[in-house]
Amino acid sequence: MAIKNYDQLSSLELDTLKEIGSIGTGNAATSLSALIGMPVRIQTPEVRIMGYNEAIEWIGGPEEITAGVLVGMDGQISGIMLSVQQLEFVNLVLETMLGKTVKDYMELQELESSALTEVGNIMISTFINALSGLAGIDIELTVPAFTVDMQGAIMAVPMAEYGGQSDYIMTIGGDFICNGKKIPCRLLLSPDIRSLNFLLRKLGVDSGE
Amino acid sequence: MESKITIGIADMKMAQSSGMLITYALGSCIGICLYDQKIKLGALIHIMLPLNMEPGRKNTMKYADTGIRETLKMMEAKGASRSRITAKIAGGAKMFEIKGGSLSNIGQRNIESVHNTLKREGIKLLQEDVGGTVARTLLFDVGTGLGCVRCYGKPEHIF
Repeated sequence: MAIKNYDQLSSLELDTLKEIGSIGTGNAATSLSALIGMPVRIQTPEVRIMGYNEAIEWIGGPEEITAGVLVGMDGQISGIMLSVQQLEFVNLVLETMLGKTVKDYMELQELESSALTEVGNIMISTFINALSGLAGIDIELTVPAFTVDMQGAIMAVPMAEYGGQSDYIMTIGGDFICNGKKIPCRLLLSPDIRSLNFLLRKLGVDSGE
Repeated sequence: MESKITIGIADMKMAQSSGMLITYALGSCIGICLYDQKIKLGALIHIMLPLNMEPGRKNTMKYADTGIRETLKMMEAKGASRSRITAKIAGGAKMFEIKGGSLSNIGQRNIESVHNTLKREGIKLLQEDVGGTVARTLLFDVGTGLGCVRCYGKPEHIF
């Protein structure tokens, strides 16, 4: 039965989504590791179904400033994928790629922003490639977009995009661990409901029609 | 100390005489302050989408059209007069500059819908701080009717 809202997902479906998160994030970690030349591990990814206000409170409060890379998905699946990059992650990337760090997001110039965009884009693309291979579907990605702003407003982008369909937002994603330290960088996959049903059917866990 | 009242997404709250209504991190969403100066009754709505097309039209405060209309009714029930109610709005930004793809500019559509609904309901729009690419936190002082917009890396804008 196709679901109408994210909170109707069965535990089998949720486990499948977690597995996708795990494989996708694992691939993204490998590409990150190649970029920064350090081993990167992942924590067990989580699938979260959140109300709007829970979602914007999630990562450090709505006014917390963060960098974000957004890629839109089209083709057989529509959705949004976000890479939310907090300052610690930003500095890890900048230090290994450009040999510098910043104290504040304000110091990010064009070169730094474009490095962060590219890292986010590569991680998102590896995630999506894994997903598309796993489910045997074609997904087209838009050019990545970058911003530094309040994380509540960044998280609200997928919510507004799919807000007409649901009062909840589903995100699949996880943290990275580098040098034994948890690096706050989350990859968030937010498909729309139609695409989620299609994806679950392709993966063979659609609970029977 | 003045009491602070936080308004979440798809939410509305009212206060009278005093109090600070606040809604955080408006991206493409819009914060709408409605105010009757005479009786110092103020409301702040945080809408997310332009038009309510849901069956049954629940979730009124999620949408610009039903959110504004419903709030006006509630204000009138508390003694506000429509001819005195004025509006100040903030938000409607485009957080990411996305080239291609099917993602739409919801912020712009929200701005248009708020403008249209206010016009249709005969509410005068006094001030606005909309569009652009930055997130805004909106504070609304019910005691004075003044709004304040807070953005990252910019001085506060009182309006």
